[in-house]
Amino acid sequence: MKQPLTLRRLLWTCAALLVVLFGAVLVALKVGAVPISMTDLAVDLGRVIFGRTAQMQSDYRLIIFDLRLPRIELAILVGAALSVSGAGFQALLRNPLADPYVLGVSSGAALGAIIALIAYPGIPLVTPLSAFLGATATIAAVYFLGRRKGQLDSTTLLLAGIIAASFLSALIIFLMTTLSGRDMRGMAFWLMGDLSTPLQESLRWVFRVGLVAGVGAIYTTAADLNLIATGEREAMHLGVEVTRVKLVVYVSASLLTGLAVSVSGAIGYVGLLVPHMMRFLFGSDYRILIPTSAIGGAIAVVIADTLARRVMAPTELPVGAILAIFGAPLFLYLLRRRFA
Amino acid sequence: MSSGQNNVVVAMPPGKQPAWEATVRLNVEQASYAYHSRGNAAPVFTLAATSFTARQREIVTILGPNASGKSTLLKLIAGTLEPLSGRVELEGFETSRLSPRTRAQRIAMVHQESPLLFPTRASEYVLQGRHPHGRGLRFETGEDLKIAEEALAQVGATHLRDRWMHEVSGGEKQRVILARALAQQPILLLLDEPTLHLDIGAQVELLERLRHLASENRYTVVVVTHELSLAAEFADQVVLMHHGKCLRTGTPAEVYRRDLLEQVFEAPLDVEMGPEGRPRVHVRGARPPAES
Amino acid sequence: MNDPNKYYRQKLRVNVARAAALCAALVLFAAGNAAAQTTGEKEKPAPGAMVIVKDEAGRSVSIPQPVRRIVSLAPSITETLFALGAADRVVGVTDYCDYPLEAQKKEKVGGLVNPSLEAIVALRPDLVLVTTSINRIQTLDALDRLNVATYAADARGVEGVLRSIGRLAEVIGSASDGKALVAALQARLDELRRRLTGVTPSRVLFVVWQEPLISVGRDTFLADALRLAGAESIIHVKQDWPHISLEEVVRQQPEYLVFASAHAEEELAALVALKNAPGWRDLKAVQENRIVVVSDAINRPAPRLVDAIEELARQLHPAAFADAPRTGAAAPKGGAR
Repeated sequence: MKQPLTLRRLLWTCAALLVVLFGAVLVALKVGAVPISMTDLAVDLGRVIFGRTAQMQSDYRLIIFDLRLPRIELAILVGAALSVSGAGFQALLRNPLADPYVLGVSSGAALGAIIALIAYPGIPLVTPLSAFLGATATIAAVYFLGRRKGQLDSTTLLLAGIIAASFLSALIIFLMTTLSGRDMRGMAFWLMGDLSTPLQESLRWVFRVGLVAGVGAIYTTAADLNLIATGEREAMHLGVEVTRVKLVVYVSASLLTGLAVSVSGAIGYVGLLVPHMMRFLFGSDYRILIPTSAIGGAIAVVIADTLARRVMAPTELPVGAILAIFGAPLFLYLLRRRFA
Repeated sequence: MSSGQNNVVVAMPPGKQPAWEATVRLNVEQASYAYHSRGNAAPVFTLAATSFTARQREIVTILGPNASGKSTLLKLIAGTLEPLSGRVELEGFETSRLSPRTRAQRIAMVHQESPLLFPTRASEYVLQGRHPHGRGLRFETGEDLKIAEEALAQVGATHLRDRWMHEVSGGEKQRVILARALAQQPILLLLDEPTLHLDIGAQVELLERLRHLASENRYTVVVVTHELSLAAEFADQVVLMHHGKCLRTGTPAEVYRRDLLEQVFEAPLDVEMGPEGRPRVHVRGARPPAES
Repeated sequence: MNDPNKYYRQKLRVNVARAAALCAALVLFAAGNAAAQTTGEKEKPAPGAMVIVKDEAGRSVSIPQPVRRIVSLAPSITETLFALGAADRVVGVTDYCDYPLEAQKKEKVGGLVNPSLEAIVALRPDLVLVTTSINRIQTLDALDRLNVATYAADARGVEGVLRSIGRLAEVIGSASDGKALVAALQARLDELRRRLTGVTPSRVLFVVWQEPLISVGRDTFLADALRLAGAESIIHVKQDWPHISLEEVVRQQPEYLVFASAHAEEELAALVALKNAPGWRDLKAVQENRIVVVSDAINRPAPRLVDAIEELARQLHPAAFADAPRTGAAAPKGGAR
């Protein structure tokens, strides 16, 4: 890191990480209740690429395309969204311990989900929509509460978010007591983060577009974020429009979190740990931190989800639990390295 | 007390050539400001209309005790506050009307350093000074790197290039912060109490460097300080502030009057003329002079 | 500057970049191709006879005939399938399908809340059976979208359980076995009703969970089962699993405490401790040892439910059964399997 960041170093790093992601995806495709050997997988992928999917064994086709691939894609989208969001919040709140949920977005989404469960139990589509609505409402509320003299202030925002999160959690617990046993177990899975429910096609497109838009928006402020990290006052005197940047980061990061949580529940540790790991590997420069966090987050969730599917097969563990088991000791290790 | 006018011919101490040039670069004209606490009609603090001008290669000190309005005046000059009345013009443009980016290309501010969020190297820190001149993701060009190197050299901190900011001493950090400001290639350099945490040796070093840089790079330098002796020694112009009012502007010799200084600083002071027309300030002891 | 290693490193980097670009391109191409191919081209079931039925959640389900491979996603359904003699057609069960013992040997597809969709699909079932009370709508929806025929059972009340069993039997193509089973169960219930005419129902507290104390609401099918066993729950709330205070129970002083457990004897032994537990020891039912433990089959809408109801009735009103000693079908005291 003695040399400043160049476009070349950025592209190389991303390319290397993409290779790792590709490897993780291949493993995830191969592994499952129905074992698919590498040769079969390679042959099938070949058939896919050359448009001869009709020749594939119909079992495999269903399993790979309707089950595994969508799930892997969901893992990639969620991992990328949460990691970038976490990196953004860490800059916005000037706090290395910030994660995507600290401002209450996940609690808002959970409340939306539980309300959908109670009010519209028969229509599964309502749950992610209602969760996203809850997330958006929370984002708006915390924004208005988190302002000081008309501008987003890091400390006030953090306090407002924590208060919102606790209040919403209390509501959620209250509502959970009215749930039946089955719904309560389902809700518990959701709260821990769960990728096992395939997402409707239309929602998948919303998520893809949302991810690109959100990450793109935050990335445009990457150079500004580097300066804000040395102090908002200094950044302003270096020409950064601090108010505008904070608003862009707040809205984008919150929406990314809202999208992720609406479809998969509150998967923990990704948003907190992946940015720190990427900082550890590649430095704190946001111009490289954001793309590497996105890819790194995708890798982490794909691997964790594969483990969640297989470790106690056929029982599915919630992916958030796997991430916590590996994430917590990793976090401790990083913490000690930092202060070594 | 009347404040100095733009066009007054200042009596020059004998033998000294003017360090500044004739064209006015910074024009502060009847600029005032008022802070209101939330909702209240009465302002909490007011900066009365103040005027002075500054030229290239000139060092201006805004001098006064705490809460005299110095920082407010500096913020008006920097353009981060918009004056309630009057204006602040830099080369004809009102500073508060400029976009932050354009402002940062012309005005560099040196603060007391805020705590850094993530470990940063001095070289990266200085490179941030190039931010106002870049676009988009701002991958630093060779040109940027050269300017940053030069800035470090100008403050004598080249050896600190690869050191971590959180590991260097106070004086060294001050130099790196100054280098970042220089990397902005400004025409106006503003410093807010830069000598606060420095020992006397470092203080003198800083001000001598500023004098040298102002001359070399043709900066206009405005320093906010409460250090009477340093201001006397290094300033070309002093703006004396007291309770939000500018009492006097002029050369140190003109402004350092015992009655004025005692009123502003509320301390028993003596002023005498030193060499090169620069006043020397002494603190008179609390005891009356021993007289038999 | 002219470091020979640098040259090789650069070469390596160039190759890695090429590989990465190629991989990325492949993935994108494949994904694009796949998306184009599979949208609208879902697995169509093999052409053959299809029967359209309406399941108990009101959905229309197309079931391929004959039904040869069945996956059950609820323990009660598994029990019912075995009772209908369809055990050989059951290809997949959940981790919790523990009765009968043979069921535990079947291929597992995961938990109740989160079964593995892949495992289910891999078994190529003709029909997947779920319940509205235990399984999630998301699972149902996902299986629908994968074009797997899924039938939902929804049993309300004990009589409803019997009707549900009958309908299930029709759906899987064992109508005659179903009719026979339902008739037998109905006969036993009728006999039970006959024996209990004129008998005052006992006032009981059914304890679902001890700490916190949770009982059953009046609309649950457990409450219905209690009524058929000649019992009346002292709790009359609308909420299905009400959390009640021990004080209220002491005030009401139920005649019996009823617990359900898979290991009735051990449970009964453990419950002796209630004599020393604050609050509980103030209950006359505890002091006088009027604690009944029945098989947990009373929780399941399956044929064994009738066994459990009978068992509970025997324990609450032994006089009504004085002339009917236990046959092999009924379980011994404690209600073990």
